[in-house]
Amino acid sequence: MDKLATIRITFKFVLLLVAMVPFVTGCWDIKDINHRSLPVIMGISLTEENQYKVFLDIPATNETSTVNIVSETGDTINKIIDHISMNMETQVDLLHLKIVIVDKNFARNGMEDIISAFNRSRDISSKTLFAISDQGLDQFFSDMAAKSEHSGNIIYDFFEENAGWNPQLADTRIWQMFRSIHSYTHDVIVPIIRSGRSTSIECMGSAIIKNGRMTGQIGSDETLVANAFYGKSAFGKVEIMDSTTVQIISNRLTHHSWMKNDKPYLRSHLRLKVTILDSRGHLTEEQIKERLEALLTSRLDQMFKKTQKEQADIFALGQYFRNHLNREQLRDWRTTYYPNLDFKLHVTTIIENRGNLKNL
Amino acid sequence: MDLKESLAEYFKANADYFNVEIRLQQYQVQVIGLDSLVDLPQSIASLQTQTSNLVKTSLPPAKLLKILGELVEPNLASIIPDIMKGHLILLEPLSGTCCAVLPISKNVTRSVSAPETESTVYGSSSSFLEDIHTNIGILRKHCTGSSLQVEAYTAGSSHPKSLMLIYQEDRIKPQLLQSIQAKIRAGLHQDVQHIQQLENMLGLNKWSFVTNFNMTELPQNAAHALQQGKVVFMIDRHPFAIILPSLVMDMFCMKDDHNYPRTFMYLIRLLRIVGVLIATIIPGLYVALVSINPEVLRLQLALSIANSRQDVPYPAFVETLLLLIVLELILEASVRLPKSVGPTITMVGGIILGQAAVSAKLVSNLLIIVLAGTTIASSTVVGFQNAVSVRVFKYLLIILSAIYGMLGLLAGIVVICAYMGHQKSMGIPYLSFPTLNQKDDRNG
Repeated sequence: MDKLATIRITFKFVLLLVAMVPFVTGCWDIKDINHRSLPVIMGISLTEENQYKVFLDIPATNETSTVNIVSETGDTINKIIDHISMNMETQVDLLHLKIVIVDKNFARNGMEDIISAFNRSRDISSKTLFAISDQGLDQFFSDMAAKSEHSGNIIYDFFEENAGWNPQLADTRIWQMFRSIHSYTHDVIVPIIRSGRSTSIECMGSAIIKNGRMTGQIGSDETLVANAFYGKSAFGKVEIMDSTTVQIISNRLTHHSWMKNDKPYLRSHLRLKVTILDSRGHLTEEQIKERLEALLTSRLDQMFKKTQKEQADIFALGQYFRNHLNREQLRDWRTTYYPNLDFKLHVTTIIENRGNLKNL
Repeated sequence: MDLKESLAEYFKANADYFNVEIRLQQYQVQVIGLDSLVDLPQSIASLQTQTSNLVKTSLPPAKLLKILGELVEPNLASIIPDIMKGHLILLEPLSGTCCAVLPISKNVTRSVSAPETESTVYGSSSSFLEDIHTNIGILRKHCTGSSLQVEAYTAGSSHPKSLMLIYQEDRIKPQLLQSIQAKIRAGLHQDVQHIQQLENMLGLNKWSFVTNFNMTELPQNAAHALQQGKVVFMIDRHPFAIILPSLVMDMFCMKDDHNYPRTFMYLIRLLRIVGVLIATIIPGLYVALVSINPEVLRLQLALSIANSRQDVPYPAFVETLLLLIVLELILEASVRLPKSVGPTITMVGGIILGQAAVSAKLVSNLLIIVLAGTTIASSTVVGFQNAVSVRVFKYLLIILSAIYGMLGLLAGIVVICAYMGHQKSMGIPYLSFPTLNQKDDRNG
């Protein structure tokens, strides 16, 4: 009898627990996947009234159309999204947002606010890519809509590492932008794109972003070198003197930094392994090596000079002085130390193989 | 009332009861038994041959009957069980001596046939479908060592059944054997008609979601279990060997695997493990991904799922349950139905219903794939009982996934692991490896 009573009490307790389960969850605001809109691209520009204009590129999930582009103006981004969501038949869910595109004017004016907002909001993945549009966003998105005949996610594929991405393209995420704003020694480059004539998108090089503000621009060849510096240049192709093309297979960087008389010194050594893809004329391996090294060194030097002038440390060279400078000094890294940085890059290339070429 | 009359009174509702008088040497003897179990003419002929061959012709009745069979007390209580077992009772009315003779019995069993619920690819294909003595004979052919022990018990008071406890003396752990024997002795008064009653008798957890026993038709599996130091039960008229304890590896391993090359054996077992994981996790994963955590999916997949779920009115949870229940119904129906009707159900259920459910926008295409995969995967498990537990765990994960998404799925897996870790049968943890006996190097 006693056992039976225990079983009964246990049973009631379990029943109570089961009955309480629905109350302790958020399962009433779950929306199935077909009731959500999954925008892939968000475009943000500033109107003349200093309001945000947000574009959302939503790949359609029905057979008739491929892409849906909606836009709305407002004072804050969250309010705009909310407004769009209200007017749509499905809920806008930014979890799948892959790319944020801003227009050039907005980028020049400074994007600090929206980047902090993105990083703070939990709806947007901090892995979201950042890009700058060379043309007006109205134009850009209407071109995209016209070209998206087959697939709604051309731009996504363009930046996807196992689809369309090349090392000539900068690859910068929202968290890196956020870091660049809040770090004393780290700046970033962001790809500049526009809708292309024969292809859907054209890359125009990269923008130098300092503290969330676009300060300058570099070409796509220079971006490749920057990517080599970041260690992301594999399979990037470099053309030397209009005659030879080599492909970078791997790269390795070593640094040596010191301070002398309050002036920072940095010696870097970039070791590249390359393979020769094609060659015109009769250059020897030695010549190719020499010219490649000279080319890369001069490109990096140029870029370094440029960024030094703009005080934007896109190579994050300041990182190598973190143990030489204290935090107070690091605060002035960009303004005081970086312009005086004595930086020498030494490039060594190893030609791994000649590809399919029998004779050079 | 003498014994003859009281017997006639006791069996008056049994048409197959007989009581005939025959002459053995100089005595008139009553032959009593059940027609349905005893081949009467042959038995009488055999009795008469035996008595006519005796050299000494004038024996007292007790001596004579002792030669023919086993003497029993001439009262109802001791005679009736023997009659029910199919023995022949000889009664010499003048002296009142009585004996039970093993007669030539009617043949109520078939010859050994192939297994019906389990199939083998490479391996012996005889099976335990026969009566208990034939079954033990088959098992003895597979287990030729001298250490095989067969203990017989008669369990139950209203419908006594013989229960055989089989083990290998040099393999089994003494504690396990002793505890089982003690439980059986203490529970001999209980009827053992089916497995639940056997569970009762052995004091096992009746409400367990993992099976306490593994049942097999295949003698080689039973022999393998004996080798691992497990115990095999045989119940009369129950055409399966009941193996105790059941361990988690029994889901994945069977004796026939050893007939494959070793690499393939491990690969096949790995495949079964993957099958169990798929069968339990995938439906829950579908629910979690589709309704709560779509951000985990790759964008392209998310879009195609959203596309296939377009116009489906129910949430993923309801949708999944709907189709799962239909699938369970199909499974249950095709088990129950005769073999000639089974394929019809499969066709109607699988092709027509599945296709129609999609075209009617009741469920999404992807769900059909998910559930088909689940059902197939859950059948890769060894043993029907184990497949049933896998099928049950799936629902827990679906419910938790529907409420908490991926987090719930993960928590559910932890709960299931903890539950299995908690299970024990006869003191042996469910999650232990089959090294009940260290001497056996071919375990697993």
